[in-house]
Amino acid sequence: MVSVQSPPGRGELPYARVLLLPAIAMAAATGAAVALVTAPARLAVGWCGGIATVLVIATAAEAVRRGRALRKQRGEHARHTAHLEQRIAAHENELVRFSREIIPAALRLLSTGESPREVIRKLGLANPEYRDLPEPQAETLLTVLKIVDREVTMRDAAARSFVSVARRVQAIIHQQAAELREMEEDHGRNPEVFDDLLRIDHGNALIGRLADSVSVLGGGRPGRQWPEPVSLYSTLRGAMSRILEYRRIQLSSIAKVSVKGIYVEPVIHACAELLDNATRYSPPQTKVHVTATEVQTGVCIEIEDGGVNLNEEARARIEGMLEAAKAGVDLQDIGEHPRLGLAVVGRLCAAYDMQVSLRASAYGGVRAIVIVPSEMITHERGVGLAHGIGATGIPMPVGLPEGPKRTPKKRRPTNPRIPETVSLEDDDVPVVTEWTPNGLPQRRSRVKTSLTERIAQQAAYDREDREAAARGEANPWATPEPEPKPLRDMNAPDAPGKGLEAFWEGLKQGIEPGTHPTDFIRNPTKYLHLLNDPAPTEADDEGDLK
Amino acid sequence: MTPPQRQRREPAPEPPKPQEGEVRNPERMYVVAGPDGERSELDLVTLIVARAADPPPTASPEQAALLRLCAAPLSVAELSAYLSLPFSAMGVLITELLTADLVTVRSPIVRQALPDRSLLEAVMNGLQRL
Repeated sequence: MVSVQSPPGRGELPYARVLLLPAIAMAAATGAAVALVTAPARLAVGWCGGIATVLVIATAAEAVRRGRALRKQRGEHARHTAHLEQRIAAHENELVRFSREIIPAALRLLSTGESPREVIRKLGLANPEYRDLPEPQAETLLTVLKIVDREVTMRDAAARSFVSVARRVQAIIHQQAAELREMEEDHGRNPEVFDDLLRIDHGNALIGRLADSVSVLGGGRPGRQWPEPVSLYSTLRGAMSRILEYRRIQLSSIAKVSVKGIYVEPVIHACAELLDNATRYSPPQTKVHVTATEVQTGVCIEIEDGGVNLNEEARARIEGMLEAAKAGVDLQDIGEHPRLGLAVVGRLCAAYDMQVSLRASAYGGVRAIVIVPSEMITHERGVGLAHGIGATGIPMPVGLPEGPKRTPKKRRPTNPRIPETVSLEDDDVPVVTEWTPNGLPQRRSRVKTSLTERIAQQAAYDREDREAAARGEANPWATPEPEPKPLRDMNAPDAPGKGLEAFWEGLKQGIEPGTHPTDFIRNPTKYLHLLNDPAPTEADDEGDLK
Repeated sequence: MTPPQRQRREPAPEPPKPQEGEVRNPERMYVVAGPDGERSELDLVTLIVARAADPPPTASPEQAALLRLCAAPLSVAELSAYLSLPFSAMGVLITELLTADLVTVRSPIVRQALPDRSLLEAVMNGLQRL
């Protein structure tokens, strides 16, 4: 741009100097022509030459003037161009600043939850340069912020509605699970009913896992908290119980630790998703081996399947999926890849600071490793280590809506009821040895939990019966009132006292009527004649022995 | 001289009584005893005796507890009460142990209500020979 300008030292030459040379040349040519031609023609030639000289000078003067005008215009044009280019550059700078500094800063502010106008005001406060944005930029910024704000609100609302639906499903599932557990206890003597109940229970757990997944992906929290630590073994069994092919899972050498109550549910859910992947992507006849060992940073749960080997590329893709999930995956992305579970695992791992990695397994398949941090682990005695089922600890629903108000189920156990006369307390309970957390056998004096539970159950039954009776309902399980026995028919041959009567009758035989039947005791000699009769021998039965 | 009194330890605080029908453990019943498991012919009064003193390391906690309990013969009903497992679940559990040859089953000794006729006849004959 600078080069276009005329060099500064080059001034404009005066017209006289520019026109002098053609004028002199023309005049010289005219003079020579006048001198050469004959005398009569000299005047004419002289005129012509003069006129031609004047015309040449005039033309030359015009050409010079036009040339100068042209140069001047060109100079002006160059300056104008330069000015415009400067402006364009300035605009570009503005745009770059707008897109690289202002908009990101505004979006950062927006993500803290401010409204668009507030964001623009705060932006000006934070940096005075941003205060006086040009009008179009300010408008663009406001529009962009409004659009983004609206989209974010809509997405949040969608996620919240997902979570709220999932929570309602979870609430129903929990209610159902509790009722199923009751039914399993009530119909434990009926193998057919019991097996069917177990199947329903399993299906219920599968639905529950899906609801939990939706809740986690929507940013919700797990719906349950367990009030007491749960042993890792039971936790992993809980994870097993929520997948389809739980029979293929083999738990072996599980560390004797417990998971703190509030972290039980995330561990169960993450492990259930990994177990589900392991069983789904391995041949149906193979087993999935689960081990858990204590490591420096917590507990390392390894899930190994015998499926297809994971090559480097696939591993990178899956780990990328996990990373994306940790960063907060878009819900739309999930529909595209079927491994929904990994997104859930990633979310859970990010939320609870667990670590998950996938490696090639020694069995030829995939080995998923979950590291549960030591903050989530306790060495307290957990629920359900020894007896599996007979343990204490009630899950508390956290922030779950109440289940549907269904009428309370009337328990009609098909098991025989323990009669009240049987004391359970005095039962001779055998000594049971349990394992302490460090693997040593521990002798426990009495197992009372199950019995107290039974007693509590019995008390509850009775209360229920009383309430039912108060409502006037017939209780099919009440011990039937003993029917009043009809008075004995005194004429029957086996009526009481008949035997004695017969005895007296026998005594009276051979005695004169009127004497006392026991007279023979008082006067024995009087009855000696009775002894003289031959006593019947057994020979009588056998005919003629003689 | 009085013997030293034994110090009574403070009993451990009782865990809150579980309310009826509440799920107390994350594991479900079908993981302990599968719904399609085989059940051998067992009765509530069938006696179970463990064959080995120590449960194998692969045994599940329920199986291990059952084997420890069954050092002396115990009936299925008692086992079901101590392990808080329904009878049907016990059936599957015991059948698994039976196929693994870890327990044996003994039929209960039935005390007959009426004495045997042949026994009575033998007694009668013996008495007559006196």
